[in-house]
Amino acid sequence: MFNPGPLNAKAGTPLGEVTSHAEIGKDCGQCHPAFWSAQSMSDLCLDCHVKIQGEIGDTTSLHGLLIQGNSLTCQSCHTEHHGVDAALTVMDSASFPHEKTGFDLSGHQTRSDGIPFACSDCHTQGFSTFDQQSCVDCHRPLDQVYIDAHVLDFGEVCLTCHDGVDRYADFDHSLVTFALTGAHLQVGCSECHLNARTIPDLQNTLVDCEACHLLDDAHAGKFGEQCGVCHSSDGWKPAIFDHNRADFRLEGKHIEVPCENCHTDGFISTPKDCYSCHKQDDKHNGVYGTACESCHNPSAWVDATFDHSLSTFPLDGAHVNVECAECHIGGVFKGTPLECAACHAEPDFHLGMFTGQACSTCHTTAVWSPALYDGPHTFPINHGEEINTCADCHQPNLTQWICYPCHERAEVDRKHIEEGISNFSDCLRCHPTGLKEESGEGGDD
Amino acid sequence: MLGNSKELIFAFLACIFSAATYGAMLIFTRQIPAASEFYGHTIGILGFLLMLATETLYSLRKHSRSARWGRMANWLQFHIFTGIVGPFMVLLHTSWKFSGLAGVTALLTGVIVLSGFIGRYIYTRIPRTADGIEDPGVVGEMQAAALANARRLMSLWHTVHIPIGMALFTAAFVHILGALYYATLLK
Repeated sequence: MFNPGPLNAKAGTPLGEVTSHAEIGKDCGQCHPAFWSAQSMSDLCLDCHVKIQGEIGDTTSLHGLLIQGNSLTCQSCHTEHHGVDAALTVMDSASFPHEKTGFDLSGHQTRSDGIPFACSDCHTQGFSTFDQQSCVDCHRPLDQVYIDAHVLDFGEVCLTCHDGVDRYADFDHSLVTFALTGAHLQVGCSECHLNARTIPDLQNTLVDCEACHLLDDAHAGKFGEQCGVCHSSDGWKPAIFDHNRADFRLEGKHIEVPCENCHTDGFISTPKDCYSCHKQDDKHNGVYGTACESCHNPSAWVDATFDHSLSTFPLDGAHVNVECAECHIGGVFKGTPLECAACHAEPDFHLGMFTGQACSTCHTTAVWSPALYDGPHTFPINHGEEINTCADCHQPNLTQWICYPCHERAEVDRKHIEEGISNFSDCLRCHPTGLKEESGEGGDD
Repeated sequence: MLGNSKELIFAFLACIFSAATYGAMLIFTRQIPAASEFYGHTIGILGFLLMLATETLYSLRKHSRSARWGRMANWLQFHIFTGIVGPFMVLLHTSWKFSGLAGVTALLTGVIVLSGFIGRYIYTRIPRTADGIEDPGVVGEMQAAALANARRLMSLWHTVHIPIGMALFTAAFVHILGALYYATLLK
């Protein structure tokens, strides 16, 4: 009386002693519980459909996947009372929660020819199975070259990486721990992700340089496997190495030297001492040993600085600013004579008077002149303010002396003539100590 | 005839409007609206309410001594209007399936509407005043016999129309209870 339409009568697997719903059509209560009873219609369905009951909780099964604590009931997908041959499952791809199977249909709504997908387009053998060959069967005609290469690169089990969400086109590699930069941006995926077959394979791809570039090693392993120390993804050249990271700072002329000039055999054990590289530059022929750095620095060879106080001849006074080569003739340093006379020839001025005496008796390194003479001198040395050096009076040499031009000649002449002195050519005859008052002894001669 | 039958014109327009909503549903969902879904339910309930109104209110007005609002002629117009539009909506509600008790209810609905049209036809054979009261004053002798005949038919008609109405509403109530039990309240 209340039956709104015939029940499905197609014979199926016997369940609960019947093979179709129509056979229990007279007893509405087999499927329709009273609304006050504790049971729901789904409970009554599952009383007979025990296999489905068993699927619930098993997420690898279709019903277990769909019915996971959500509000889906049997009636969400299944229907009845539509006729003896009517379909018992009414579902279109828009309402079926396909993402629960692990494959989202958001990218598979419309086929490439514009027609909406039907379930059977992919599920060619019924809904409870899916053959992944279906993927290739559709996608290969759309782009054969790409799909053939892709299958070779990543295998035939599409679902291990693809879940229906389009995440690989314009993949943003900066989302993962290895950002693609420089030349790496031009590389195809499978060149680094060799033989990747699953997403863990992709994620576990090794990220250190030599994992991919071992065969590119132009150094034949001599420089180890830390390629990134010198090289970047911008390109193999230029290799840029911050030498400050090494135990040898590059300074001065060393900066422009090509790597291989010093690093003739690997980098790590290259010697750090000067002599190892500069042996052939030794202008001293080994005389000064191998510690070049005690005088030289990388700015230039000629910029040698030597702490002369370390030697037996400390430099002071005027000696300080003399060029090394002026004393050290011919590059000879050790054994350079220390006596003054070795560099300073005795002047004719002395007229041989001080032979055998040390120059330092009168002279200091500050300046040759004025010399400090402290020896016998009959005439007062402190004669007059203008007299500073021996040469002020002793001209042209020490055995002779002059009173002019300090004492102005015209004035002297006048004064003596006034006094009636006509012979005053020998000043010291009347002025032996340089005083004017002594002149009384002279008198007229 | 139609000039004096405003209720028919209004009923016709209301039916056109209902049909238009039905047509829109057909176009947008591309299927016949099912009786148990939102549109089918809504139009069934509205149609039933109109039919309920047509029976109860009209009968109340006709037979009550205290409730005397409006003229009977107007009430008849109301009865006819709701008695056409209501059943039409119920017809749309059926989704063109007539099995079981629901089908019997639909059948009774159709019969009572038909009966209503017949009654309407007999009704017009009796001269009435503008208030709907029989007016024998203008009737001559020959017509008196026809008039008596018409009156008898009218009485006879009432013995058909009203029981059918009762049966119809009984069936409708049982149908509604069944729908509630088997579908609406089903867990």
